[in-house]
Amino acid sequence: MTATVLVEHFFRHEYGQLVASLTSRIGVQHLADIEDAVQSALMSALDSWTIAGVPNEPSAWLYRVAFNKLHGELRQCVRRRQILRDNVAETMVLEETSDFYSATEAQTDLLKMLFVACDDEIPLQSQLVFALKTLCGFDVREISLRLFTTETNVYKRLSRARSRLQDAVTQTDTLALVQMRVRLPAVHSVLYLLFTEGYLSSNVEMALRSELCDEAMRLTTLLAEHPAGSSPETFALLAMMHLHRSRMSARQDGAGGLLLLEEQDRSLWDQAGIQVGLKWLAASAVGETFTRYHAEAGIAAEHCLAASFAETRWDQVCQCYELLAQTTASPIHQLNHAVAIAEWKSPAEALAKLNEMDPPPWLTESYLWAAVKADLHQRCGHTSESAHYRAQALSAAPTPHLKTLLERRLAQPNETACQQISPVTGLGLAVKQIPTAKQNEQRFCDFSNPRQKRHLP
Amino acid sequence: MTKKQYLCIQRSQPNGDCGKPSPAQMEEMFAKFNAWKQKFADNIVDMGGKLGGGQVVTSESATGGPFIEAKEIIGGYMILQAESIDEAVTVAQQSPGAIMPGSSVEVREIVTP
Repeated sequence: MTATVLVEHFFRHEYGQLVASLTSRIGVQHLADIEDAVQSALMSALDSWTIAGVPNEPSAWLYRVAFNKLHGELRQCVRRRQILRDNVAETMVLEETSDFYSATEAQTDLLKMLFVACDDEIPLQSQLVFALKTLCGFDVREISLRLFTTETNVYKRLSRARSRLQDAVTQTDTLALVQMRVRLPAVHSVLYLLFTEGYLSSNVEMALRSELCDEAMRLTTLLAEHPAGSSPETFALLAMMHLHRSRMSARQDGAGGLLLLEEQDRSLWDQAGIQVGLKWLAASAVGETFTRYHAEAGIAAEHCLAASFAETRWDQVCQCYELLAQTTASPIHQLNHAVAIAEWKSPAEALAKLNEMDPPPWLTESYLWAAVKADLHQRCGHTSESAHYRAQALSAAPTPHLKTLLERRLAQPNETACQQISPVTGLGLAVKQIPTAKQNEQRFCDFSNPRQKRHLP
Repeated sequence: MTKKQYLCIQRSQPNGDCGKPSPAQMEEMFAKFNAWKQKFADNIVDMGGKLGGGQVVTSESATGGPFIEAKEIIGGYMILQAESIDEAVTVAQQSPGAIMPGSSVEVREIVTP
């Protein structure tokens, strides 16, 4: 019996790795069989390893077992078809060997799978669900829990991605480095969405949310270190993730309640994580490209580097928002920009900025819009407007935690000195580019329109 | 005083495990099993194994299973050692084989002359 200790999330990550490696070798048209074989190999491992101990090379063990199961399954399949005189040239598949291969190849396979899934024809939400299932090893129930949606919905999204991939079989084998480069922005979008689902969701418990962030960071790190994905844009995205993730644990109090940015204990911020984020941010500052990820990482960095809420360099934050508006115009960014203006200049100027906007209904109906308005009006001494928006914000708050936070935040009309809705982290969703899960439902569930545009610009 | 040995027979309901466990659940099961193994290392004589299909043999015939009752399937066995049946029961009770919903473990002393 060996004393090999398995790394954290070994089973879940091996699931993704095995599916990706086998798909790369055998083809995405066999995805269903591949997933079955991998599931069954993991079950064998569970049975065998609990009794005999973990083998020296657990990954190779699993690969061999999964490959042999798949091999057997496919051979039967070919035989059946031959009996039916269906002339299928699938025998070549069976000539593959079960030799395990290097870690670098394995990582390439994993990324390849991600690139394959980031197909323009697949709606972004389906890409996300597909990535969570095949690359991160979550099952349908676990995905529905994390994305705060129904299992039926997860199934729908998953099968949409799968059927598209079945149709586009040839792509997997021919997805060369150059073509992968073309898909890089789409890959960034799905990783960004994966991260924000974890970081910004107000509906799901903290532990589950941070798992989504960690998965996004794992895949983005892989991407940043691989020739197919190492670009300033990837570095900026990864920097942004590290800078947000480092502050995540400080966003809640002991009882799970949400904390405003100014209430957070900054000593709880993960300084090592911030340093990693800043390192990637420095790496991203190469070449001509300036992307939304650069701007968002810049904003996050300003907050990380400020010794206290009062010492935040709001002028710099505002500048980042202006740059962000140039790369990615979004009403949510404008709202956050206004909040930063209120700190840098005055609440009145922030209100003026909001009045210039032509916000979409999903924003004006959100508690966030109402909360910011209530706060700004309050600080300008507009009592009745403030009360109006306050009531609207409270009734629109999607979770009890948020409602409590808003009640506390918008409660005292007399204590306005150092209060504000903090950008980026304050309400837990100030940077929210993607609407809440429920809005996503409405936006992305329209499967009748396969060419539906990505929500992310 | 030498410890006595006990045969543990693990049973589960045929439909006890609703659906396949996810990789994350397997991870959890694996961790639980290892923790249990470590905790009771002194009691575990033989981790045994899973039992596959088989036949019941008499002087006249050999019959294929199911052997006892269709509603229960003997999944596996192992051998423990303990000072007493109570101790053996405690060990078995905390084993993942007993914790799983719909599962039970029968503990029987192996009586040797």
